[in-house]
Amino acid sequence: MQIKILKPGLMSTIQDLGRHQYLSQAVPVSGAMDTLSARIANKAVGNQDNAAVIEFTYADAEFVAETDLLIAYAGEGAIFQSGQQILPPERPLFVPSGATIKLINNPSGSRTYLAVAGGWDVPEILGSKSTCLLAGFGGLEGRVLKRGDVLKNVQELTNNTQQIVHYFEEKLQKNSKKYKVGYPGWSIPRQAHLPADAKTIRVVPGNEFGWFNGRSIANFLSAPYIVGRQSNRMGYHLEGAAMERLKHQELLSTAVMPGTIQVTGSGSTVLLMADCQTTGGYPRIAQVAAVDMPLCAQLKPGDAIYFKDITRGEAEMLYIEREQQLHQLTIAVQNKFL
Amino acid sequence: MPNRAFKIYYLSETAVTVEFGQQIAEDLLTAVNSLNLLLHQQPFPGFNTTVPAYSTLTVFYDPLVVIKSDLPGAGCLAKVSGYLGDLNLQMKTTNSVKGDTITIPVCYGGTFGPDLAEVADLHQISIAEVIKLHSAATYKVYMIGFVPGFAYLGGMDERLATPRKATPRKLVPAGAVGIAGQQTGVYPLDTPGGWQIIGQTPLKMFDRDRGQPSLLKAGDMVVFKAIDIHKFNELLAG
Repeated sequence: MQIKILKPGLMSTIQDLGRHQYLSQAVPVSGAMDTLSARIANKAVGNQDNAAVIEFTYADAEFVAETDLLIAYAGEGAIFQSGQQILPPERPLFVPSGATIKLINNPSGSRTYLAVAGGWDVPEILGSKSTCLLAGFGGLEGRVLKRGDVLKNVQELTNNTQQIVHYFEEKLQKNSKKYKVGYPGWSIPRQAHLPADAKTIRVVPGNEFGWFNGRSIANFLSAPYIVGRQSNRMGYHLEGAAMERLKHQELLSTAVMPGTIQVTGSGSTVLLMADCQTTGGYPRIAQVAAVDMPLCAQLKPGDAIYFKDITRGEAEMLYIEREQQLHQLTIAVQNKFL
Repeated sequence: MPNRAFKIYYLSETAVTVEFGQQIAEDLLTAVNSLNLLLHQQPFPGFNTTVPAYSTLTVFYDPLVVIKSDLPGAGCLAKVSGYLGDLNLQMKTTNSVKGDTITIPVCYGGTFGPDLAEVADLHQISIAEVIKLHSAATYKVYMIGFVPGFAYLGGMDERLATPRKATPRKLVPAGAVGIAGQQTGVYPLDTPGGWQIIGQTPLKMFDRDRGQPSLLKAGDMVVFKAIDIHKFNELLAG
């Protein structure tokens, strides 16, 4: 299977679930910002969760199917359209060779993930296919996608993916007239795994939570924070009530990770995202619950969010529950094509 | 080495941090690296990786494996903290890590070290003296952070301490050797930067195609060795 990028969009990169084994050498995790969407897109075509996907940012991207394709997409940055046909997300799509697919605007979020049967075929570097933009490796030549890029899938398919391909091929042979994009009536709704309120982000107080005065803490847990313009895959600047320190002690550089909320010297807050540094020297007021990082990944500059504190134990329970649900989804997709 | 007092705190659902203290000191570095070594020799079920820093070792794990393990404690945090606490009690002098000593050849001055003269002027010493002081010391790698392969080095002669440039350069090339405040270091990638650049090494500080991509790791010793442009070109050609 093969596509060609006709319009790359604002920022499109190849990502998997991240590069986790070289943190001690300061290699950032990278990987899909919204891992929930990336995993759902992969599951919908029968892939392993970690298969490489394309992460699109907003709409205005376009690609052409150079062969028949089995793909799926998930996320909130765009809706896929082929000709006049709107293609539904979160389910396998069988796309005929020659079809052009456009990403059209979906104002609810910012990032959308495109999975293909087998995953996109780029070399694995340091244990991952994710693009490390900072050091210029991984993904497609360590860079964002550009017009004319040709991407192929990995030929080796899971049993489940082979069953899905087979299902569509049989169906198409039965009605041999020129076909449009085909898809089943079911989907894997991403929203079912997320809280209804997408603007309240659950956090666990960080190790330096107590470094800030009571008023600042009260503001942090009640006042709105606006995602700033200077926000990217490394982190978001959050505009809101300034955090005032009780003590002006220095923090020795130590590990940080995606989801860490740091307070800079001027009292402003920064939420670290997938491409963040592995260490930092700013006090950490909170850590976003891992289950709410997909919500953060879909934020746009100008969006207002609120923080709500939960305990470490609650965050851990939520994490384990989410993983169990996602494991059930893989089994559910397998059962649909048996 | 006696077992050091430490504190373990939550970083996220997938990581805890062991903190041995809150200052830059060689015995803390030794404690961090000894625990790191011991943990790699005796990993717990679900252990993934670590990030050593000045006085902390952060331990990453898979909660799904940890929660199913028979480690004592309710919840992953308790299970992992308990395990790391026990491991720390096992630390002995024999566990302390002997880091490698890495020699980094540096071509000082000229176009490679555009700020060398400024550093010399500021301290009212000769350029030769700056080079001598910089290459005479043995440096300790405290941690790798900031960008892939960037080593935080301790041990620079205080006489070389120089403030950062008032205006950072838009591009500092990979391999540039610089001074910022009390620190010296080598840029592993082409990046913008505000350090005073005094020379250039032909070595790759970060090479994704190497078994260990970062030339340096926490606990290593570093010596800078002055080379001339001919030697530089020879080494660059490999």
